[in-house]
Amino acid sequence: MSATTLRWLIIVALIALWELLPRSGLIPELFLPALSSTLVAGWNEAGEYGHALAVTLYEVAISMVFACGGGILLGAIVGSLPRPRILIMPMVSSLYAVPLVILYPVFTVWLGIGSESKIAFASIYGFLPTMLATAAGIQTIDPQLLLAARSMGATLSQRLVRVIIPAAIPTVLSGLRVGGALVIVGVVVSEMLISSAGIGYLISRYRTILDSPHVFAGVLLVLFMAIAFNAAIKWVEGKAAIWQTGTRGGESATEEIAPARTLQPAT
Amino acid sequence: MQPLANVTQFKPATRTGAIEVRNVGQIFRTSSQDVVALEDVSLEVKPGRFVVLVGPSGCGKSTLLMMMAGLRQQTSGTITINGAPIPQPDPDRVGVVFQEASLFPWLTAEENVEFPLALRGVKKSERREKAQDMLKLVGLDGFGKRHPHELSGGMKQRVSIARGLVQDPPVMLMDEPFAALDEQTRMTMGDELLRIWAATGKTVVFVTHSLTEAVYLADEVMVMSARPGRIVDHLQVSLPRPRTYDMLSGETFGTLRDRIWRHIRKSA
Repeated sequence: MSATTLRWLIIVALIALWELLPRSGLIPELFLPALSSTLVAGWNEAGEYGHALAVTLYEVAISMVFACGGGILLGAIVGSLPRPRILIMPMVSSLYAVPLVILYPVFTVWLGIGSESKIAFASIYGFLPTMLATAAGIQTIDPQLLLAARSMGATLSQRLVRVIIPAAIPTVLSGLRVGGALVIVGVVVSEMLISSAGIGYLISRYRTILDSPHVFAGVLLVLFMAIAFNAAIKWVEGKAAIWQTGTRGGESATEEIAPARTLQPAT
Repeated sequence: MQPLANVTQFKPATRTGAIEVRNVGQIFRTSSQDVVALEDVSLEVKPGRFVVLVGPSGCGKSTLLMMMAGLRQQTSGTITINGAPIPQPDPDRVGVVFQEASLFPWLTAEENVEFPLALRGVKKSERREKAQDMLKLVGLDGFGKRHPHELSGGMKQRVSIARGLVQDPPVMLMDEPFAALDEQTRMTMGDELLRIWAATGKTVVFVTHSLTEAVYLADEVMVMSARPGRIVDHLQVSLPRPRTYDMLSGETFGTLRDRIWRHIRKSA
């Protein structure tokens, strides 16, 4: 059995268990409502969930732009210039270790409980890993490649466009994967804490009235959002990474060429 | 061969490739002390010659090569290529091949070879044609669409040589280009390089650690000593061309090799 089939079987089994365990009474419906009742609950309130999803997606999209755009831009600056790097990097790295969620209440004081505070919080939350990855990606570019480009007469801007950016893409994408995921986490968590709309808000509100099927319907939506984001990043990676880091094509390519004797001396 | 002849005709005046190094010194300043990397180095390379710089690690041979490439500036003295100084890299005069092939992993072999031409806005069709010619010259006809990770170490260096040659500079500078290859590949690549050199008539300055490689490839060998880097000997290799494997065990070869080794042992 291949790994893929096995993986699908595990997923199918989990789905089946989700339906069967609560139905059989092994797990109380309050802890885990059956999949069918969850879907029915979601379907009955489709309008409410749709509206919440729109709010959440809007917040995620704007935060994504700030987190990823700002992270890449600042990461590129910090990664390529030594002085800002020395000044900023230690601060950013230690900031990354702080659970930023403790700042969220402050954001609501400044920006209110609407979308603005979520966007601000999620942007900062996703910004840090993106920036760190971009800076690392640019810093770790093989200096030989830049030297080679220089020996071929590449100007500074040509080196940036033709060497630094393409060489940094894989690391930046892995930063985006983490940063983007944190943006989703940031939005949903902040909605759950203090807010008046969005999926996180719905989950938290239904939880307070012990309505498990509706809670799990919200959880499912967040799950799908994360899966969709992951698929999108994978797609971009597939487009961008022509060379796979895992491939060791060079090992199979032996000296399979006959010495070429076709050319005659030209000078 | 037609394509090479075409390339030559567009700048006949620069096709000489003489290198002159006069009293070049290099001092690395660190906070605690000044390190003299090169001291009063002078040498002359005549057009079309194959010159090898050999010496122990840290003798500054690569530093000297980077200066000839315009990638680094000397503290004192002058370096001229074709009679003019080289304050910055000039791919019209000098092509450089590095130890690691330094190919861009996101480009195919032919795109790598085209890279220097793309930098100067040469048209796509013209670029492709020249890259094809160069890949043919280095024995990689039909490998143009592969990415570097799909090529062996020797093939990567061939691409790198093709890239250095694509703008048809009169001078090729090679910084330990085969050091990372296994011995068999290294031997083959040496022969291949001599063939390419004979076909193109370039002036070659080649840096290596290997005494055998030095004597096998060179018209002249310049031996350097370490700390401070200086030229301590200058040998003419009188072995006929084409060089063959049998010469490695001959008396002339052995004598030359010994003479270089004595210098290097002294300074190591």
